[in-house]
Amino acid sequence: MTNNNLHQPDHDAFQDDPEIRALLQDYPVPQADAGFFDRALVRATHQGSRQQRNRWLMTGFGGAIAAGLAVWMIGGMLMTTPEMPDAATGIPGVTMTLEEPRTVNLVFSATEVLESATLTVSLPNGVELAGFPGQSEISWETSLNKGRNLLPLKLIALTPAGGELLARLEHGDRDRVFRLQLDIS
Amino acid sequence: MSTTDNNLAFERLVRPHFERLYRLAWRLAGSKAEAEDLFQELLIKAYGKIDELASIEQPGPWLCRVMYNLFIDERRRFARTRIHTVDEGQLAGDGIEGLPANADADPVTNNQRREQIQSLDRALAQLSDEHRMVVLLHDTEGYKLKEIEALTGVPVGTVKSRLHRARARLREILSADGTIS
Repeated sequence: MTNNNLHQPDHDAFQDDPEIRALLQDYPVPQADAGFFDRALVRATHQGSRQQRNRWLMTGFGGAIAAGLAVWMIGGMLMTTPEMPDAATGIPGVTMTLEEPRTVNLVFSATEVLESATLTVSLPNGVELAGFPGQSEISWETSLNKGRNLLPLKLIALTPAGGELLARLEHGDRDRVFRLQLDIS
Repeated sequence: MSTTDNNLAFERLVRPHFERLYRLAWRLAGSKAEAEDLFQELLIKAYGKIDELASIEQPGPWLCRVMYNLFIDERRRFARTRIHTVDEGQLAGDGIEGLPANADADPVTNNQRREQIQSLDRALAQLSDEHRMVVLLHDTEGYKLKEIEALTGVPVGTVKSRLHRARARLREILSADGTIS
């Protein structure tokens, strides 16, 4: 794959190290998936129109539509959440609107600094994490400060099924699995 | 203007720049997932500023600047939380492993090329964000120094200096691992 840009680089900045420059010139960028541009355009205009219509509403009720918040404790503490546990499942829940992105803030409270922890998020069918289309399980290698650590997850429900979001936090030989019920309205 | 007219006008303004913007998103973010997210965020932001966009003579540089600012804002936000992705390039289909082989080249050449790209990928990952960004924008994407200045707000002199240092560091790393002599 070759670089097909239309720019001509500056002559004076292009004098040194032709070997390195040749390598860089051929450094590829994968093509966008077929249909990605069209889908991105549709999402932008769809979401943009809705945002414009709802702007007046958000100014008054921004607090009420703030993202869901789940507080997780590591190190033997219990998970708590400001939202009521789902009556059927007994686990914390967040209600999402179909095809409307919603940021769920996961807050980790660590009793010590955790370097090189691994966080794996598993999503129910029909729910995607923005930027990870088609992936139901995503892993991060991450570090946690002592105290509160925030991980915002922008989720979008593509079907009304909903289900459980599972998150596994692993550090050394310790691991904890947390659950969050996602209901779609 | 109706929503449909608005959407068509928006598409006419932005679509000619999609390829360039996608490449920029990839160079900034370094992975497919993040590049797609950045591209999407840009379109949503630009749609909200369609009047401003329509009044601009050259929307391309404006869109690039907005994308760059979104990327920097996102990076700062992640730096604050300390929860960040460090290994997304290794997600399936997300990095250079997902690139198709050159059908015209023999398997040995393809393998050599793939190894060279992987070495370059690792070497670039060892550069600072500032150095990696400037060397990719200039040497790979062909942005001019003045364009990089306009995009990043970094003076041309500093861009030149970063470019020179980035190339020197790449040579050091790639010489040490035997990729170049």
